[in-house]
Amino acid sequence: MIKDSHFKMDLSLLQAMERERVLEVLRRDKQLRTIEEDRIKRMRYELQDLRRKGAKSFARQYGERTCARCQRPLGKFWNSGAVCCGCSHRICRKCRVGLGATAWKCTVCHAYRDVKIRSGEWFMEEKAKKFPATADKYETVGEKLLKTYNVLSHIAVVPPTPPPHLDYQFLSRSGDLKSSKPFAKSMENLMLSLTSHIKKISTSQNDVREDLLRVENSRRGSCFTFTTQKSLSDTDINKSSNLFKGPSLPNLFKRSKDSDHEGYSTGAEEETSFGSEYSGGNRGSISSISTDCGLFEGVTVAGELQLALAYNTKSSCLEITVGACRNLINGDHKRNKCHPYVKLYVLPEKSSKMKTTVKKNTTDPVYNEVLQYYIEHHLLVGKRLQASVWHSGTLKRKVFLGEVLVPLDGLGFKNKASQCFNWYPLCPKTESPEGGTMEQDGEVVRPKFSSINQGELLQLSSLKYLQERETRLSVRHII
Amino acid sequence: MASATATYGQKESSDQNFDYMFKILIIGNSSVGKTSFLFRYADDSFTPAFVSTVGIDFKVKTIYRNDKRIKLQIWDTAGQERYRTITTAYYRGAMGFILMYDITNEESFNAVQDWSTQIKTYSWDNAQVLLVGNKCDMEDERVVNGERGRQLSEHLGFEFFEASAKDNINVKQTFERLVDIICEKMSESLDAGDPAVTGAKQGPQLTEQPAPPHQDCAC
Repeated sequence: MIKDSHFKMDLSLLQAMERERVLEVLRRDKQLRTIEEDRIKRMRYELQDLRRKGAKSFARQYGERTCARCQRPLGKFWNSGAVCCGCSHRICRKCRVGLGATAWKCTVCHAYRDVKIRSGEWFMEEKAKKFPATADKYETVGEKLLKTYNVLSHIAVVPPTPPPHLDYQFLSRSGDLKSSKPFAKSMENLMLSLTSHIKKISTSQNDVREDLLRVENSRRGSCFTFTTQKSLSDTDINKSSNLFKGPSLPNLFKRSKDSDHEGYSTGAEEETSFGSEYSGGNRGSISSISTDCGLFEGVTVAGELQLALAYNTKSSCLEITVGACRNLINGDHKRNKCHPYVKLYVLPEKSSKMKTTVKKNTTDPVYNEVLQYYIEHHLLVGKRLQASVWHSGTLKRKVFLGEVLVPLDGLGFKNKASQCFNWYPLCPKTESPEGGTMEQDGEVVRPKFSSINQGELLQLSSLKYLQERETRLSVRHII
Repeated sequence: MASATATYGQKESSDQNFDYMFKILIIGNSSVGKTSFLFRYADDSFTPAFVSTVGIDFKVKTIYRNDKRIKLQIWDTAGQERYRTITTAYYRGAMGFILMYDITNEESFNAVQDWSTQIKTYSWDNAQVLLVGNKCDMEDERVVNGERGRQLSEHLGFEFFEASAKDNINVKQTFERLVDIICEKMSESLDAGDPAVTGAKQGPQLTEQPAPPHQDCAC
């Protein structure tokens, strides 16, 4: 009843001057939130890292007798460990964080709680109790409003047939209208790989069915992953799907039996426990931490990028020094090769693209290249640097290896910290919330995550359905 | 796009060096002194001239409280009815509220009940509210005595301060107390249903040393 009135925040009653004033405030707010989101993202990444470290690795036999965090063996009589009431894992004495006299939690559960505090997640949860319909927890009314106003002003510039809101967003993401051809082409590529995968998947449909049933039974988790592995050759398909929270859909989670096969998927175990731990209550927000982590989970975005940022007041340009990358994953899985380069944009304009050279056959490339971006200092406010790492493959195929977003606010003479080199962890692409993974200049982004609704899973083999969902769905090879 | 207005407080807002962020909303009738109150707190400044707020505005201030750096985004709202659609949209995102009236203005006091209903309607269930009677430096023109304020606040379940943005009385205390109550709520929210911590609480426990409430105006 009242809910809807929230979204009717209406500026049409205001005079132009007033409206501009309010929009200005909203922009400042957005800027603040961008920075905050960046902080939260980093925080979650760290949490994910911690979890991954604690997770059992495929080389080790996981049993009752090792600490789930540090993997040290536990004794039978002394130092036998105890079960953490957060995650139900057996934990040694060293991996506990005390809470008061007797209570304790394991390091990961403790960090998890800590992130909930620092990210404001607790509040989102509380809020969701009263306003469960909030689809995107970070999107505020102000943001919506900003968007609509931006859209409106754009429409005014492009006269013929103002496209509906969604379409507009879609187009703007795929570059201007003129560049729709490469976009379509890359779409084709994706479809091709999708259909071939679907065929393979359907051969092992029995397995999938079985998995699905079990998924339905599992109460509630955070994301849904399934792996079909074929013993034929090295053409394993790993299709990981992430469920974006639809308003009424329970989130699913499923861990494949032999996911230990791959090192990184071992964190899944953790997900299960978190999922069930909180399954009782408010799903909307609790799952969001896990879901976001889930993005890192099935995805092989790994490694770090070293950057230094400085503003040169004399030449009034932003000088971005790309130092190096380390621990990248191979862009070309089949050949185990990687020819990485770094691409820079200053967001939101994306007006000029800057690229480093391509380094051949390395996952730890060293660039030490200075790239310059001419911009007035005061215009840096609200801008972000998007630094993405790409693999330059054969036939100009490019594969996304991860990206970093660095806010450029407050970058100046005073900010010494960013002037020297910093290592930034690479993250999956976050620009498009709907999961549209296409780049505007025809590059095929290696799809990282996708979303499928629960009820629609069974229709997976239907190609038509896939075409409808193509922007949200993507499939990834793993060898 | 980002010009003069965006630069103020820029250092504060782009700073990522804090533990968590709270959002606070100041509401109340027009001209009770919401903006002045915020300016006094955030910038330690005061201008007697009355400039009506257009829609909404906010300021950012990072405080150090109980070993935590807390970044506050304090939203200042327009009291005028015509901006109501804009201001109520922000209730949902706020963790705490400062509901303000003017002790020299009976009408603003009478409206407190309505404002409180607005909070109940548009905000989350555990919204923390502090009732503030502003302008307590103007004792000569007082029409709402402190006792009535206190009674009303008890009735509504809020905490109460009389304050003056002009003479800087109880401004800081108000915000700090609100931050403390939000922290308490946060711990409660996290510990509810958490078997490890029920009984043995942890985290920001701010209950032990609440700010000494100077609830009576010194003037």
